[in-house]
Amino acid sequence: MWDIIAVDISGRHRIKKNYYMVCAAAALTVSASHIEKIKQIKIQPLWIKRDPTLLDIVQLIEDTAGQLSFEGTIVAERGDIYNKPLWVPEVIFSRAFKYQESIAERRAIELVHHISLSTRNLLINKLEIET
Amino acid sequence: MTIPDENKIRSESKVILVKRSNPNSDPENEAILYQELHELARAAGYLSVGKLTQTRFQDTRYQLGKVKIEELAELVRSTDTEKVIFYNRLSTKQLFNISKICQCHIIDKFELIFEIFVKRAITHRSKLQLELARLKYEVSRAKAVVSLLKKDERQGFMGLGDYENSYEQDLKKRISRIENELESAEKDDESLRTFRHRKGFSVISLAGYTNAGKSTLFNAIVNESVEVKDMLFTTLVPMTRALDLGGRKALLTDTVGFIQDLPHWLVDAFKSTLNEIYLSDLILLVVDVSEKPAIILQKLSTSHDTLWDKIQGVPVITVLNKTDLLEKFELDNIMKQIEYMAPNPVFVAAKEKTGITALKAEIIRHLPAWSFSSFTLPNSEEGMSILSWLYEEGIVHKVEYGKWITVDYEARIEIINKAKAVINANEN
Repeated sequence: MWDIIAVDISGRHRIKKNYYMVCAAAALTVSASHIEKIKQIKIQPLWIKRDPTLLDIVQLIEDTAGQLSFEGTIVAERGDIYNKPLWVPEVIFSRAFKYQESIAERRAIELVHHISLSTRNLLINKLEIET
Repeated sequence: MTIPDENKIRSESKVILVKRSNPNSDPENEAILYQELHELARAAGYLSVGKLTQTRFQDTRYQLGKVKIEELAELVRSTDTEKVIFYNRLSTKQLFNISKICQCHIIDKFELIFEIFVKRAITHRSKLQLELARLKYEVSRAKAVVSLLKKDERQGFMGLGDYENSYEQDLKKRISRIENELESAEKDDESLRTFRHRKGFSVISLAGYTNAGKSTLFNAIVNESVEVKDMLFTTLVPMTRALDLGGRKALLTDTVGFIQDLPHWLVDAFKSTLNEIYLSDLILLVVDVSEKPAIILQKLSTSHDTLWDKIQGVPVITVLNKTDLLEKFELDNIMKQIEYMAPNPVFVAAKEKTGITALKAEIIRHLPAWSFSSFTLPNSEEGMSILSWLYEEGIVHKVEYGKWITVDYEARIEIINKAKAVINANEN
């Protein structure tokens, strides 16, 4: 079994000329086909007034994963890192990074995707940010 | 640009293979993908007489650079080739522009896969599925193709205006007709699956990347002789055979192989084939372990991608095939690199029929649990009839005949419940 940190960012589109994004990170233990244990989950919102760059995304992911008390390889969807070839995020991130591959990793990304999306919807609703 | 000399003189369906790679892409990976295109062309019965590659970002008009396309046209003329196959997906505009310069038939990898499927389709159903896929592919291009063709023509009497619409409408009508026909066939499949489950069969599917050795393994497990070839997409129609696993009845299905970047319209075409996998009780994911670890990982990733959100927690056994081609230390080394992608690994050499017993044991371990129960039946004609039915549906561990017949029995929970209901009804 392996320790991973699954991350996903919701809100990669403009709202009133701003980007209101929410990143979710989950520390998990996975086998090849199953999530064996969910150890901790953290979320981090980010509001920026310009188009997010790759470095903004990397920083947001690093900040969210940094809140977790557990170590592990960061696993993300290709689209979150602008479909860059693996070697690009590998050299930018300060910890081990990989794109989702196995059934368990894909399920983990699905989990954090639901968390980031529903958190963003909740915040947008509570903070009365019009879409 | 390369032209294999020995191939120049042969006149059978000659093709030139073309691939564009993005800058910064992994050269080793690109070589693997090109090799896959070569294998696909071979599977479709083509002879590759030339190769053209370019590293650049996509040109919207020609896919490659225009000079490279002119070089391709020259290669087509010098080798007297009838067809050019692009690895990269071509837009209608690119297809039109390249055909104009090269003056030959241009297709992309997806149309090539489609051609293979068409050549191998045997059943009426698979032919319908392919017809549907072709029509759906064509309808998206129909308008653009007609517009490109009539670009220089004037509107008016005998113009293409009406034709443009009627052609699209005609395609849509045919799509709707075939969809209806396939829908009723799918309902038949659903009831067949339910029937199999009700009869106590566990359904097991062989899945995996194309040419991983699924059919060879199928033959090794069920002692059959399904067609086996060292070629991509040998199996297109699912083949199902019964299997006895220590008294438990199972159905093993050999299915079509997966391939990287298969377009959705083609995946849809084989939805019912893939449903065989998705609705199984257990999936045997077959992997050719004799390949390089990077290739194995890539193929496993494609397989996991195809399966992950459809199988709903169904257990997966990774069958690492062709172990006879490797030494023990090589196998250990590969295993270390791929274990995070290989749930429940089992080593087999399907050709040599080694490891099949261990695989069967692993299959039994992962099949849905059966329940144990004891029944008391009247020693009468009705009782004997129920006992005979119990023998058909599950495993009778012990049976004692006296005034009453006592049976120790193991079967699916549905069968146990049904048996209890039948016995109670009989007593009353």
